[in-house]
Amino acid sequence: MSATETLARTAASTPSRAAQPVDRESRRLGFRLTLPTQLLVLFIAVFPLLMQLYISLTDWSPLDGVSWWKAWQSWNNFANYTDLVEDRRWWGALGRTFIIMLVCVPAEFLLALGLATLFMDDFPGKRIFYSILLMPMMVVPAVAGYMFFMLFQSGGPFNGIVSALTGMDIRIAWLSDPTLALVAVMIADIWQWTPLMFLILLAGLVGVPEDQLKAATLLGANWRQRFFTIMLPRIKTIMVIALAIRVIEIFKIFDTLYIMTGGGPGVATETISVYVYKVTTQDLIWGYVAAIALVILIVLSVLAVFAMKRMDAAKNGGAAVQKGARA
Amino acid sequence: MRRSPAFEIFRYAAIALALALTLLPILWMVSMAFKPIPEWSATGADLTWIPRAPTLDNFRFVFGESTSDLIVALERTAWRPILASLLSAVFGTAIAMVCGTAAAYGLSRFGSGKNLPLALIQLRLFPPMAVMIPVMIMWAFLGLIDTWWGLALIYGIVTLPFAFWLMKTFFDEMPREIEEAALVEGCSRFRVFMKITLPMMRAPLASSALLVFILNWSDYLIALLLTTKNWVTIPVYMASLSSSMTGQLYGAKAALGLLAAIPPVILGIAIQKHLVRGLTFGALKQ
Repeated sequence: MSATETLARTAASTPSRAAQPVDRESRRLGFRLTLPTQLLVLFIAVFPLLMQLYISLTDWSPLDGVSWWKAWQSWNNFANYTDLVEDRRWWGALGRTFIIMLVCVPAEFLLALGLATLFMDDFPGKRIFYSILLMPMMVVPAVAGYMFFMLFQSGGPFNGIVSALTGMDIRIAWLSDPTLALVAVMIADIWQWTPLMFLILLAGLVGVPEDQLKAATLLGANWRQRFFTIMLPRIKTIMVIALAIRVIEIFKIFDTLYIMTGGGPGVATETISVYVYKVTTQDLIWGYVAAIALVILIVLSVLAVFAMKRMDAAKNGGAAVQKGARA
Repeated sequence: MRRSPAFEIFRYAAIALALALTLLPILWMVSMAFKPIPEWSATGADLTWIPRAPTLDNFRFVFGESTSDLIVALERTAWRPILASLLSAVFGTAIAMVCGTAAAYGLSRFGSGKNLPLALIQLRLFPPMAVMIPVMIMWAFLGLIDTWWGLALIYGIVTLPFAFWLMKTFFDEMPREIEEAALVEGCSRFRVFMKITLPMMRAPLASSALLVFILNWSDYLIALLLTTKNWVTIPVYMASLSSSMTGQLYGAKAALGLLAAIPPVILGIAIQKHLVRGLTFGALKQ
């Protein structure tokens, strides 16, 4: 229901106040109610960003013994930004983050979509299975990291299961091999976040009108036709939302991974967040970190605004189509 | 819709496999938490899924009791990290819910703060790592490093987007007739909000608060950066648990991990109905 419709109905029921849609009292209250949030956003966004921009232009480090506002003393003519372009470790971390994204997001999506289609209609045990399948996403990520750290020890249960299945005694040290460590990290991510995709996609699939599916069945459509021509198009927006959420979250991946491997062996599983964390806490060159952080923020902001515009356009387009259908 | 028996068999087989894969890592940790040291066996050849001699020693150990097997003494027990996690998550949730609910109502009813939806989504989008330098400097300046209230403040801000968006969709859906009626009776708008709207929204408020609490409770990175000693939270404490004599304290860590994992899992199941809405910023309802 749109706001104007609501207003119109309100006007009909209480004619005396219809002339003032948003009166002064309301505006003042609205302002006061949103004020704390506005202040918090200012507090965490505007001032810190300016501070970050300032520090990023210097070589400032907390070890200097100089307060941050005197950071201009180590002004370095944008050297942080030029360094970043040549920083191999940074590009490596960025690349690895994208590799994890490119493997995990599709894997999670396909697994979740498959599972969700199995859960579309009722069957005995559905509720309890559903609750159990959602559990991984509620496990504290740091704890999940520790679970998988234990699982992938060379004498751990993962090798144990593989040994039992293959009949060979397998003792792979997963987390100390550069490639396998990355695989292990991906498995942990898929384990933890497939349930989220499953939850979202299932919510979408349940919304597909049953009569359409029934009609299609009556007309002789097999399940594949029903799936690709009715269900998938119907949940397009929902799939985009699910994928977007995972892409954003994987971009930030830290907790599980850091506990499992600490970014190692060497830099084999170092992602953007791990890299930034290490430079922040070990190398302590905060001027440089600020520069990296700003670049990440700017790129993400541009992407976000772009995505929001696309989504709004899609939403409006969708609404128009629906209205057209009704008329 | 009728399905063929072949499909039903396939369905149960697939779900059984998914359930097994879901539960294996969890079961291993549970079993580890109850194993005595000789069975920890990170290197040992024999893997047992069910502890041969189940014991509560791991739990006793993290809470500071000396046990027969572990001669290592802990520098700090788990009590304080648990308190730190609870305090920071609860007060962080309170900050997010109070500010988020008020702002959501302001926007939903009076159209105030039109910039907030986008601003808050962006806040959510950024990797925390990318804003931590200024936050660490500010927190140091304000004397908030290594305090639970400092953590609560940043948690409140970080989860504010979830509280705001969830409550906004709930307010948008709520019928306004009752509020209108109360206005006609002569209540002020604020009174209507406090005395009528909020009590009516008890259930949505509760589930939003639980979701926000889970998110706060789950944090690791922020606590890792903003606490050092006195107020480290459970995940940070857990990661630091290891001793020079026994190496990784597998069982003790597993016991602590189990304790940390239980509350969100239970709460999560309790609010299952609203999870989709909460995690998709209200874009989706179930």
